[in-house]
Amino acid sequence: MAHDPTPLVESLLHEIAGLLADLAATGQGARIDLLGLPIGPAGRAALAERLGRGEVEAALDAGGTSEIWETGFAGVWWVRHFGADDRLATEQIEITTVPTILLSQPEDIAIAASRLAAGLAQHTELPQ
Amino acid sequence: MMDPDSIGALLARRGVSRRALLKYSTRLAALMALPAGSAEALADGLARAKRQSVIWLSFQECTGCTESLTRSFNPTIENLIFNIISLDYHETLQAASGTAAEAARLAAMAANKGKYVVVVDGSVSTRDGGVYSTNAGHTNLEILRQTAADALAVISVGSCAAFGGIAHARPNPTGAEPVSAIITDKPLINIPGCPPLPEAMAATIAYLVSFGKIPELDHLRRPRSLFGDSIHDRCYRRPFYDRGLFARSFDDEGARQGWCLYELGCKGPVTYNACATLKWNGGVSFPIQSGHGCLGCSEPDFWDQGGFYRPLSSNTTSTGTVVAAAAVGGVALGAVSALVARRRARLARQETTP
Ligand code: SF4
Repeated sequence: MAHDPTPLVESLLHEIAGLLADLAATGQGARIDLLGLPIGPAGRAALAERLGRGEVEAALDAGGTSEIWETGFAGVWWVRHFGADDRLATEQIEITTVPTILLSQPEDIAIAASRLAAGLAQHTELPQ
Repeated sequence: MMDPDSIGALLARRGVSRRALLKYSTRLAALMALPAGSAEALADGLARAKRQSVIWLSFQECTGCTESLTRSFNPTIENLIFNIISLDYHETLQAASGTAAEAARLAAMAANKGKYVVVVDGSVSTRDGGVYSTNAGHTNLEILRQTAADALAVISVGSCAAFGGIAHARPNPTGAEPVSAIITDKPLINIPGCPPLPEAMAATIAYLVSFGKIPELDHLRRPRSLFGDSIHDRCYRRPFYDRGLFARSFDDEGARQGWCLYELGCKGPVTYNACATLKWNGGVSFPIQSGHGCLGCSEPDFWDQGGFYRPLSSNTTSTGTVVAAAAVGGVALGAVSALVARRRARLARQETTP
């Protein structure tokens, strides 16, 4: 489709620059929802190219897979969630120190702790 | 300690991690255009809440709205909605029928008196006492009044329930009316569309459950976050509109070049919905992307607006007044990015909790 996404990508980059400056100065983060913007796959690809890749890449599998990477600009993260059928569910730029989704969640930690403890208890009860 | 009856506990028992819920909430928060830190609050609210009892009533409708919700594309993430609500009554989906179904509805109403949400799809026949649409010997009108009396809130799903829809089109032989014309004393949300976007339904219900309140609504009681922008505002063909480049038939050179469909009857400039960004079938496409103008299906009386293939500027409504429309080719370049920037600024300048 003959549609040049460049002007939108440029305006988006300016906005990201402003938000990143805010993060550097105040620690305040932000998120930009890319699927809510009329830039389409070509625009998102152009933006991804301009931002580049940085030092961290992560994959997670929770209710479908996710791809997360820090862009070439520290503090600017690209977070892409897929559903189980591998279709894109959300795509966001997060301006933060680390995306929350990467952190172990307290509720999951509590369940994991009791699961591990229960597993160990069962193991020690086994006849030698 | 987690309440064993909470959604959080239910999800944990089903092996759904909090991280998966957070991921779902991220999507919902984006759909509802909530501030950046809200995904965490939404996940927290959902985890603490009890499943919302929902009684779903189907009146003069085609089942497209139910199809839309149940076939929402993303089996893992989107189906979480069915962990958030307890669908206590739904004529089309439930196994029971006839008297047994009626008993199920009355039992669900009694068990959750004052706490259940009524979802309606379809318009309500009111002519001659509503006899043109009945169920188990009761008119839709009777069933709606009876069920809504003890409801917490009512959600009209689809353009028929929200605005009367196709049954309400001239000459409206059944006296079809929207739910809002009948239920005037309950909080009411309209989620129009023919059918509505499944994400709009899921996000609205999740918001209600998580925050215990109704999202901000526009003058037609539609959630502002989902119906705040026109299709035209978000249309990827907009740069052609701005430059005055219009397809004049469905197979001319302009159509092949992807130019604006305004002159082929596109109602995007006066239609408020999220199709241009969320798209259909899991984000694959939407009518304009497939080469057809927007029909305006989420607006009142879209069926009677003078013809799907007539340009807005030549349309007349049933009363003969010209439909308000943007002037052809009259918008300066750069309007899209300005709008996008405004909207993004609203969304983005919020704190995240790292
Ligand atoms: S008139 Fe229709 S096709 Fe043209 S830009 Fe507006 S919404 Fe898109």
